Amino acid sequence: MGATLRALRALVLLLGFYLLSLVLLAVLVGVDVVAFHWGHGPAVVKLGFVTVLLAVPVVQGMFMLRTPKGEDAPGIDVTEADEPRLWALVREVAAAAGTRAPDRIRLTGEVNAAVSEDPRLLGLLPGPRRLYLGVPLLTGLTQARLRAVLAHEYGHFTGGDTRLSALVVRGRVQLGRVIEQFHDRADGKVAAERAKQEQAQARRVAKGKKAKKVDTGGSGATYRMMAAVYTQYAKLYLRASLSTARGQEFAADQAAARIAGRDATAATLREIPVLSASHGFYLDSYATLGLGARLLPPRGEFFGGFGALLAARAEELEGLRARLPEEPASPYDSHPPIAERVRRIEALPADGRADEATDPALALLGDPARTLAVLEDAVLTDEVLRYGRAPGWPELLNASMASGLSTTRTPLHQALAARTGQPATLAALLEIVDAGELWQLAERLPLSAEAKAARGRAFREFARPVLHRSLRTMVLAEFSACSLLSWDFSWSEPAVARLPGEEPAAGDAGRSPQESLEVALDAALADHPDTTALRALLPSASQPA
Amino acid sequence: MTVLLWILAVLALPVVIAALWFTGVFVKELFSPSPPGPDPTALAAERLGLLPAERQDTEHAAPPPAAWSAALTAARGGDWAPAAELLRVNGRDWERRSTLTAELGTLAAEEDGWLLAWEAARPGDPDAAVVRAQSTVRLAWDLRGAKQARYTSREQFEGFGRMLSAAREEIARAAELNPEDPTPYVVEIWVGLGLGYPHAEMEELWKRITSRDPYHYGAHHAALQYWCAKWRGSKELAFEFARRAAADAPAGSLLTALPLIARFEHDETTDVAADSTPEMLALVDAGLADAAACAADDPGRPGLAQLRHLLAYYLHLQDRHEAALQQFRLVDGHVDALPWSYRGEGAASYYCRVRNETVGVVAEAV
Repeated sequence: MGATLRALRALVLLLGFYLLSLVLLAVLVGVDVVAFHWGHGPAVVKLGFVTVLLAVPVVQGMFMLRTPKGEDAPGIDVTEADEPRLWALVREVAAAAGTRAPDRIRLTGEVNAAVSEDPRLLGLLPGPRRLYLGVPLLTGLTQARLRAVLAHEYGHFTGGDTRLSALVVRGRVQLGRVIEQFHDRADGKVAAERAKQEQAQARRVAKGKKAKKVDTGGSGATYRMMAAVYTQYAKLYLRASLSTARGQEFAADQAAARIAGRDATAATLREIPVLSASHGFYLDSYATLGLGARLLPPRGEFFGGFGALLAARAEELEGLRARLPEEPASPYDSHPPIAERVRRIEALPADGRADEATDPALALLGDPARTLAVLEDAVLTDEVLRYGRAPGWPELLNASMASGLSTTRTPLHQALAARTGQPATLAALLEIVDAGELWQLAERLPLSAEAKAARGRAFREFARPVLHRSLRTMVLAEFSACSLLSWDFSWSEPAVARLPGEEPAAGDAGRSPQESLEVALDAALADHPDTTALRALLPSASQPA
Repeated sequence: MTVLLWILAVLALPVVIAALWFTGVFVKELFSPSPPGPDPTALAAERLGLLPAERQDTEHAAPPPAAWSAALTAARGGDWAPAAELLRVNGRDWERRSTLTAELGTLAAEEDGWLLAWEAARPGDPDAAVVRAQSTVRLAWDLRGAKQARYTSREQFEGFGRMLSAAREEIARAAELNPEDPTPYVVEIWVGLGLGYPHAEMEELWKRITSRDPYHYGAHHAALQYWCAKWRGSKELAFEFARRAAADAPAGSLLTALPLIARFEHDETTDVAADSTPEMLALVDAGLADAAACAADDPGRPGLAQLRHLLAYYLHLQDRHEAALQQFRLVDGHVDALPWSYRGEGAASYYCRVRNETVGVVAEAV
C-alpha cells in the first residue's frame, strides 16, 4: 500500500471516530426528544440529566484536537560537540539510507532505539527529527550492530512511516482517552453509589431495621456500555493499522540489511530480545538490589554493571539467542514476531559482509564512564539519587542482604507471631520446637489448599519445605545480625551465603558449614524434632544463658 | 395510544395465565412433593440379598481375612506385634505378602508411629523394612493426589518426587534384607511409574520380579499400569504385555484379568458393540475359566475379586446378564476394584447402577 493510500485510510479511520461520536450524540438527543414528547414528570427530567452526563465525555473527546505532547523519555541530550564519533556514525548511516539525519540525539536508560518526528500540518510537512538511543543498547551491541539498529530506524523515515504515524497516533490517543474517561466516570460513580448506600445502611441499622446488602452492580453500567462501544471501534482501528505497521517493520529490516549487511542485521535482531530480557533481569537482581536498604551501586555502575553481567553470562545468553519468540508480544503489537523477522533477513542472499566492526558501541562515546554517571542523574528520581552509595558491588550485596534479612517476614515468622502474640524470634521458635509443638505451629502456616486438606504424614511433608525455607532464613538472619554472614557476589551465579568457617564439630569432619546447617535444619524439622545440632551451630549470642 | 395498550393486554393475558398455573404447580410440589417412584430393580436387588450403595465397602475389593483386620486395628492403636506376626507366619506366600504389605503401608502412610516403634524394637526386620518402603511410596501418591497432571500443583509434584526418591533407598534396603521377596520390586513399579523409569530400566526391574514369582498378580497389575498409554507406555505396549502375560500363565493365576484391564484403560468410546466381538467374548470366557480354577484351588487369593468385578462388568456389556449376576453375587459388598474405583466417591453408586440393571434384565427374563 502506497504512502498516499495509507494516509487516506488513516484519515478515514480518524473521521470514523468523529462519525461514531456524532451518531452517539444523535441517539442521546433522540432519546430525550422521545421522552419529552411521550412522558412527563420527574422520570423524564432524570433521563434528560443522564443523557447530558453521557454526552459530556463524547463531546470532550471530539474537541480534543491537539495530540497531547508526550513527556520526553528521561535521558541526556548530546550535541555533536559532545559526542563527535556517535554523531559521525549517525550521519553516515543516514546518508547511506538516503534520509535527513536527526536534529537531536538523546541517550536514554532503556534497551531501545527509536526515532520520532514532529511533523507539521497533519504529517504533510516534515518536522524536526529525534533519535533516542538506549545506553544499555550501546553496552550490549557492537558498532556494526548499532549501524543495523540505526539503519532500521532510518528505514522508517524513508518509508514516510514517521510522518503518517501522526494521524494514526492521534486517532489511537483520542480513542484511548474517551474510553478511559468513561471508565473513570463509571468507577467514580460506583464508588459514590457505594458510599451513599453504606451511609443509608448505617442509618437503617441504627433504626433497628435489617441491613440490606450493599449493591452497586447497576450504577456505572451505562458509562461502561459507552466505553464498550468505543473499545470495539478502537479494536477495528488497531487491526486496520496493524498489517501496515508490521509491513513497515519488515521494510525497515530490509533497509537495515542493505546498509549494515545481512549478517549484522540478523545478529542484531537475535540480540535485542536477549539484551532486553537480560537488562530486565539486571535491573531487578543487581542495579536495584540495594533500594530496600536505601543504597545505590557506585556512581556510574547503575547502568555500567550491565556490561559486566553480559560478559559473565555470555554462555547462558548463547542459549537464549537460539530460542526466538515465535509469537508477537500481543495481538495489537505493531512489531511482527522476531523469529519471523530473522527468517526473512536470513533468507536474503549472502552479501559477503561478515558481522564486522566488533568494537562495543559504547566505545563510540567520548567518555563512557562519565556518560553512564550523568545518565543516572537524568534517569533516576531525586529521591533515589539521595540514597547512599556502596563502595562496590560485593559491599552492596552484603549490605542489602543484611538489611533484607533483618526485615524479612517468613511464613514461619507469621505463624509464630500469631501463636505467641509476640514478635517472632528464633529463640522462641526453638523453644516451641523443643516443647514438641512444631507441628501444631505448622498448622498456622499459610499453606496451599492441598496441604491444608492433608492429615498426618502427608500434612507434615507438605509443610516441611515451607518450614525448611523459613527456618533457614531465620537462622541466616541470626548470623547476619551478629555480622557473621557474608555473601559471595557473582555476575553469573545467584548470591551464595557464606557462613562463618567455624571448626566442624566432632563427627562432622569434612562437612562444610553449609552442609552442617542443612543437616541441623533437617533434624530440627524431623517428625521427632531435635534442635541440638542447630543450637550448636548458632552464634553464641543467641544461645540461652 | 389506548389501542396499543389494548393490543398489549390481549397479548399478555395468555402469558399471565400460564405463569399463574406454573406457580401453582411449583408451590404445590414445594409443600407436598409427590414421592419419587421406587426403583424396582433396586428392590429386586435387595430381595436377592445384594447391598445398597451406602453399605458397599469402598476400601477393599473383597473382605479381608479377620486376622488382617484385627492386625490393622491393633496397628492403628499403636500395637505393631500382630502385624509383624502375620507377616512372619505368612512366609513365602508372596502374593499375600504383597497385599498385606500394601494394607499396612497405606496405614503407615497416614501415621507411622507404630511402624517407628516396630523398627526401633526390631532393627533389621525385613518385614518392617518392606512396610516402610511401601508406606513411603503410598505417601508419595497421597501427596500427588489422584488428579490428572494439569490439575496437580507444583507443590504436590515436588512432594511426590521427593518421597519417591526417598523410597528408592528404602526399597533397596528391604530387598537386601529379604533377597527372595519380590514385594520390594513390586513396590518399585509404582516408583518407576511416578519417576518415569525408561523402558529398559522397567524391563530390568521386571526380570527381578518374574525370577522370584513369575505369576504374581499384583506385580502384573502394577506393571500393566506402567505400560498403559496414560503412564509410560502406549496402547500397543499395554495390549501386548497383557496378551503375553495371560497366554503364558497357568489356569488359576488370575492373569486373564490383564487383557480386560488393558481394554478398559484404553477404551475411550461409548460403543458397546466393540465389547461383544468374538475376541472380547473369548477373553471373558477365558477369565471365567481362570476364576473358576482359582476358586477351586484357593478361593481367598488376592486378585480373584478384581477379576470377578471385571467379568461382571464385561458380561453385563455383552448382554450375558445371568452370568454377570453370578459374578456380582460373589463380590457384592466390596467395590474397590476396576472398573468402579476410577469413579472415586461415586464408585459404589456406579457399581450398584450397573448391578441393578443386570438384576432388572434377569428378573424380566424370568
